[in-house]
Amino acid sequence: MEELSAHKLKRPLVKSHLLEILDGHDQDKSQRVREIFGRQGVELKPLDDTLFLVSDRVEGQIGFLEILRPRLVAVYSPLRSEPFSKWVRQMVMSSAELDYVWLSGLTFGVLWDLVVRLCRPNRFTRLVFTHESIFEVDNPESETDEEEEGDTVTAGTDEDAKEIVERRATSFRLVDRVGVIHERLSQLQNIYSPLYAISQLRFPSPVGRGGHDFYDNGRVTNRSESFRDHRSHLLFVMRIYEQLLKTTEQVAWYSIRESVGLPGQFGKIVGAPVTVRFRESLPQEVFDHWITATFERKRNRFRLWGHPIRLGPTKVQVYGVDRHLWQPLFLELTATGCTAIIPNGTCGNTVHRLVTNIQRYLDPGAVAYIGDKPYTQMVQESASHIRYEPDAE
Amino acid sequence: MSPTPSDLAQDPLFQLNLLLWLTQPLPDGGDIHPLLHQQGFNVHAIAPPLPVPLDVRLAAQQARIPVQDSARPDVVLTRERDHRFAFIECKASSFGPDSTTAEQARAFLLIAGPRAPEVLGLTPTQVQDSLLAYLTPEGQRMPLNATLRQLADALIRQQLPSGRSCVLGLYMTKTELGVTVDNIGSAFFSLAEGNHAALRLQENTDPRPLYFIPYDPDLNPTPQERAFCKRVLFERIHSSVLVAVGRATPPTQLPLELNGLLNDAMFGMYALWENRDSARHMRELCRQLMRPLVRAVNTVCAEAVTYDADTGWKFNLATVEQHRQVIDAVSRFSCETLDLRAEPERDLFEKA
Repeated sequence: MEELSAHKLKRPLVKSHLLEILDGHDQDKSQRVREIFGRQGVELKPLDDTLFLVSDRVEGQIGFLEILRPRLVAVYSPLRSEPFSKWVRQMVMSSAELDYVWLSGLTFGVLWDLVVRLCRPNRFTRLVFTHESIFEVDNPESETDEEEEGDTVTAGTDEDAKEIVERRATSFRLVDRVGVIHERLSQLQNIYSPLYAISQLRFPSPVGRGGHDFYDNGRVTNRSESFRDHRSHLLFVMRIYEQLLKTTEQVAWYSIRESVGLPGQFGKIVGAPVTVRFRESLPQEVFDHWITATFERKRNRFRLWGHPIRLGPTKVQVYGVDRHLWQPLFLELTATGCTAIIPNGTCGNTVHRLVTNIQRYLDPGAVAYIGDKPYTQMVQESASHIRYEPDAE
Repeated sequence: MSPTPSDLAQDPLFQLNLLLWLTQPLPDGGDIHPLLHQQGFNVHAIAPPLPVPLDVRLAAQQARIPVQDSARPDVVLTRERDHRFAFIECKASSFGPDSTTAEQARAFLLIAGPRAPEVLGLTPTQVQDSLLAYLTPEGQRMPLNATLRQLADALIRQQLPSGRSCVLGLYMTKTELGVTVDNIGSAFFSLAEGNHAALRLQENTDPRPLYFIPYDPDLNPTPQERAFCKRVLFERIHSSVLVAVGRATPPTQLPLELNGLLNDAMFGMYALWENRDSARHMRELCRQLMRPLVRAVNTVCAEAVTYDADTGWKFNLATVEQHRQVIDAVSRFSCETLDLRAEPERDLFEKA
């Protein structure tokens, strides 16, 4: 830890990246994960039932992969942040069977409450807030770097050659004691809504100094003294996320199901819409840029495809597709929010990515609901039955 | 030009989709006020085929009262806590007691009456109360109510088991579209008698919500509304094709068949369609979209898609590059370029 404090690390930090494996029905998980990575030129050499050595044909040794939960894996690597993130990004972008774990600002809000409950108030923690109003100007360039998403700090560019574009952008980190932040954060959020867009959160380690930095795209950096503690935190958050995925899908999936009574005769509609409400109504210009950037450009932050049906100046309906996971998604987008219908089988991750991106790029203070239940309540309920067990596994 | 709210209030497909939205769990304060969900009602069945009990039909025949053998209410709602069932039919306008529609209405009255448990395949304890409700523009509410009273009186005079009925009127103001509930509807749905806002209206904005059921060949909407519904149906079929192609892993031959595409586009409703002509019309619509879509793909990637009347379409995705080309071609295609008012071609050789 002294090395870490003095920025003189003799050995690299362990970074983890949490990924979701798209449901492969009843297929053997170990086999499925090996096949998915195999298609990307990555060999997974089994060390036991759930742990693999990861070697990329081009990049060489990457680290280890562990199946943490049936749908969720962690890749552990000692590589430096930049090459490791780039490698993960390439894996995710070129596979429809892999996605990041999406921790929205709303989810981080609930995780922050857990940090407050679990840590002594004098422990130091770190939060990062990221919001970029990229749709305030129509800038096709900003849409071409979707691979950059998830990284708060981007590589240096030639500042002299850059056009000056004025738009709201918030990205700062806050390091203070848990108790101090807890006292002030909600007041600050009420004053300045970008503070709802938490994009990184440190769980202070209960077994020593430092902690575990969770990023909104599932990256986690171990800045503690114990890898076992690190893994334990990953498992804890992934149990919550897995439950959240299940609940989202159970509640939101729309389908026609057989009614009780005579089977095979009656179909009833089941499911619940996903609603996102903006705290502030979008100006016409921002709404137009959002629609143009999302549906007229192949590479877009929301990774959606569809042909918008214009129903008014600030109302559009899209019977579209989540272009990353290739899942259907029906959307109504307005200046005041968004309503989504998720057909049966669509991965819950589509919803969490949508909420994360809305908070990050449109309205940091947006609130979401699955049916009539607040999204935040759903995350709280997902967390409520999970035991916190540092160093337990 | 967008339809006005009053045009839409007469459109049965808009009425049906609005009704479905009123039963959805939604947060307070949105554009849609889910007043039926808030009273505990949810959808028991969509367009279920319900036969009039045989003995009732015979009795109606003997009394020389024309009654349809069976009928399909647009939606059956239920409230589980007190076992209530509402059989709801959407109508553009009222009708007279001598019209053919009256035969359907008599069937609904008999289905929604004391024999409702049997009709639904449930026990009498599972159906404590039932009612027939029509949803129609507010201007049609009074005449339709009068017709229903006349029809029910005639059935009761012949000791036929008619149910109660009410008419929910769709009204409009400058800022909202809502439902007028009469005293019978009020008691059944636990809503106060009078007007209830259902949908907030905005200036220069088409109030249509997302459509759960995008198309119904049994309905006769205006050409403009039909074109809109067809666009929604085509967008949904198109997205199903893109999803299937996107998920495929080359090298593979991806089969896509009509029924699967239509079921995906209709949340599985297509499989429940018993009217063979309607189902056939839907298949023709699906082909109307798929022909130009396949042409667009094959122009970019020759012979990438083939069609067989028995098995449907086959997407040949031999290599990663071909897969990418086909995804690009399917993504670029848009049904906006099609003439949505053109009727689909009949396929004379289609297998039943």
